[in-house]
Amino acid sequence: MVDSLSGGIRRFTQSPSVRKYWRSFGLFFALIGPGIITSNVDNDAGGITTYSLAGAEYGLTLLWTLIPITAALIIIQEMCARMGVVSGKGLSDLIRERFGARITFYLMIVLFLANLGNTISEFAGVAASLEIFGISRYISVPFSAAFVWWLVVKGNYKSVEKVFLFACVFYLSYIVSGFMGKPDWNAVGSSLLKPTFRMETGFLTMAVALIGTTIAPWMQFYLQSSVVDKGLKADDYPYTRTDVIFGSVMVNVIAFFIIMLCAVTLFRNGVRIESAKDAAQALAPLAGEYCSWLFAFGLLNASLFAASILPISTAYTICEAFGWESSLNRKFLEAPQFYGLYSLMVLLGAGIILLPDMPLIRIMFYSQVINGAILPVILVFMLLLVNDRRIMGRYTNGPVMNILSWLTVAVLTFLSLAMLVFALI
Amino acid sequence: MSLNIAADHEPQVFLFLSELLGEKIVDSEGRPIGRILDLTGNIGGMYPPVADILVRLEKNRRTVMLPWQSITAVNGILTARPLLPEDFREPALRSGELLLKETLLDKQVVDTDGAKIRRVNDLQFLLANKILYLVHVDVGFRGLLRRVGLEKPIAYILRKLFDYVMTDQLISWKFVQPVSSPDLLRLTIAQNRLAQLHPADLADIIEDLNIHQRSAVFRSLDVETAAETLEETDPKIQVSLIEGLSTANASDIIEEMSLSEAADLLGDLPKERVEGILKEMEREAAEDMKELLAQPEEKAGGLMTTSYLSFAPAVTAGEAMEKIRREAEDMDLIYYLYVVDGQERLLGVLSLRDLLVAPPATILSELMDTRVVAVNIEEKKERIADDFAKYGILAMPVVDDNNSLKGVILFKNLLEVVAPKLGR
Repeated sequence: MVDSLSGGIRRFTQSPSVRKYWRSFGLFFALIGPGIITSNVDNDAGGITTYSLAGAEYGLTLLWTLIPITAALIIIQEMCARMGVVSGKGLSDLIRERFGARITFYLMIVLFLANLGNTISEFAGVAASLEIFGISRYISVPFSAAFVWWLVVKGNYKSVEKVFLFACVFYLSYIVSGFMGKPDWNAVGSSLLKPTFRMETGFLTMAVALIGTTIAPWMQFYLQSSVVDKGLKADDYPYTRTDVIFGSVMVNVIAFFIIMLCAVTLFRNGVRIESAKDAAQALAPLAGEYCSWLFAFGLLNASLFAASILPISTAYTICEAFGWESSLNRKFLEAPQFYGLYSLMVLLGAGIILLPDMPLIRIMFYSQVINGAILPVILVFMLLLVNDRRIMGRYTNGPVMNILSWLTVAVLTFLSLAMLVFALI
Repeated sequence: MSLNIAADHEPQVFLFLSELLGEKIVDSEGRPIGRILDLTGNIGGMYPPVADILVRLEKNRRTVMLPWQSITAVNGILTARPLLPEDFREPALRSGELLLKETLLDKQVVDTDGAKIRRVNDLQFLLANKILYLVHVDVGFRGLLRRVGLEKPIAYILRKLFDYVMTDQLISWKFVQPVSSPDLLRLTIAQNRLAQLHPADLADIIEDLNIHQRSAVFRSLDVETAAETLEETDPKIQVSLIEGLSTANASDIIEEMSLSEAADLLGDLPKERVEGILKEMEREAAEDMKELLAQPEEKAGGLMTTSYLSFAPAVTAGEAMEKIRREAEDMDLIYYLYVVDGQERLLGVLSLRDLLVAPPATILSELMDTRVVAVNIEEKKERIADDFAKYGILAMPVVDDNNSLKGVILFKNLLEVVAPKLGR
């Protein structure tokens, strides 16, 4: 009698397994961040432009590539996150310690240039998106530069991460605008699952560009450093892995909606576009003004977000390589090189956009070329590091993971080199 | 990469790890033995000596260890003495030993609070009597460029365009503590104190060198470090070091030394040399020095310094504090304040402690102790040592027959005479 009564009360409150479930749910929200943020920044100004072009020029035919891209992204990022939690060091730390000063020095110069090119394109995205709303770039760019500078210099890791996670929510605007395009879901579904392949230079270049914009060198550095800066430990690893997988899936869902929207509107009506800004403007007559605004707003959010993350990534990377203090939790004077580099990147990125007659397209093009050339190097370094027992102990790759990861790296290397060849001829 | 040989073919005393790695070892007939992969050392000591060399052999590409003692000359390339089969051993570390490149190079340096400072760009060794001591960790930009292989071109550009000479940023090994997990090097003193290295143990190593090596090391030190090192070295070596320098350099260094140490040193140098050095010195310092030099060394006058604080009796405690604050840095002695009248006659003494606890408006004549223990300028040093042992004070004022204050003898300047008497 008593037993059944107390049992009833327990059932009425919460069973231990339910409580455990809620506790791990809470823990998950405390420990996520790096994976979701890193992945979402992939959908930056350059990413959105590429997706828009892919949808507008090739319709739904490239949608299926998002599935292997998601898999590759998960495989690569999982290794970075694992190295971060196990070693407590950033990728750049490990490269310097394992591969020495000379190679690291030159790698840093190249990464600085590539990241600077990317940062410029983010500020170009800010300028373009606000020009749709009629705001001059001479107002929008300085203000947004000041905003991202203030956000990072005055904040700490926790506050910065909260703002970034909040920014991730705004990517949902692309999902909403995707529905506004009133797609034929059957056609969309079948092209997602049925790979189409065309042996045309344009088609192949676009496919490679999609991969190139999703898996970039700076991400691996940012992800691993922010895992370390957040203070995640090996015990937290299951949550971090979930964070990475969730982020990788989310970023490709967003990409899916952008490509799909441009395919069912612009491609079907034969509208030619050159940039994400064109896409947003061309959407107004086809899918309505609100859809166009949502698209432009998504671009602004993504550009602003990435205009902050890319300089942070650069500052982490270079400071780690040369052993300078690097943490968002330090004050400016405690980590002068870190915040100095961050400020320099923001200043240069925003400043170059405002110079008249800058060959923007060419700057972005060459930064993509550098990214493509350096990605294989970084990936091979990563695989050597993740399999180094002195660094990873019992957390090295297992045999299956090694086959998968070497295969991924081989394909990505091939595609990056292919893109280099396409780009340079 | 080749070893840089100083232009005037001085014996090479400072070597960088980056210059040694990959370097060729040859036998006495110049036939190649192998290349250096790494060095081992027992890093427990203050300046640990290199024990073995990890070598990749030329003939069969095998990796073996070779004792550093088998190297007879380091001159661009390393020459080994005739080697026996038992000189080579399988690579294995003895307990306490580690591979210097593997464990130290490129590692993070953190300060006492764990904040990251720099990375180990290079390691600097001192070659003394064929023993290679690890003395410095190079954390500077120049060290990084040396590793990258751009040191010479960039140094040249900076010099030609900006008239800027790159310097090394070195941290003495004794302030560094390697930590294994996570592998990094922790400084054992605060970062801002790094510049104030106490050179006593550098002096110890210098004493072990032969005369050519010694002057080469000494010349590479900056004036301040050189002065401090000189104070710590044996008088005979002091003389040989100064004789290797130009008069202008010598006077710069001597000016940086404490007055009494400098006077002792000058007392040991030949007359003409001393005159030359005094001429190069600032007038005021030279005057003080001449006065001290006139005193015979065995007596109180030869031991004393004239760099101390004296005040008129009517000065207030507050005013005295102000003066100490302004001048303390250049004084040999600040712990005692001597009160003198218009004719420099010694009236009393008070300690820095007395001054600190006194109300600022009090005048010194009210604070001073008039029972002063002083010695006559003609007093022999043995008697003075007895007095030091008896009264247990840090410094003893020196007066002439009219009781006018001439100088102060510091306890440490008498240490070698006092020390045997302390046991009594």
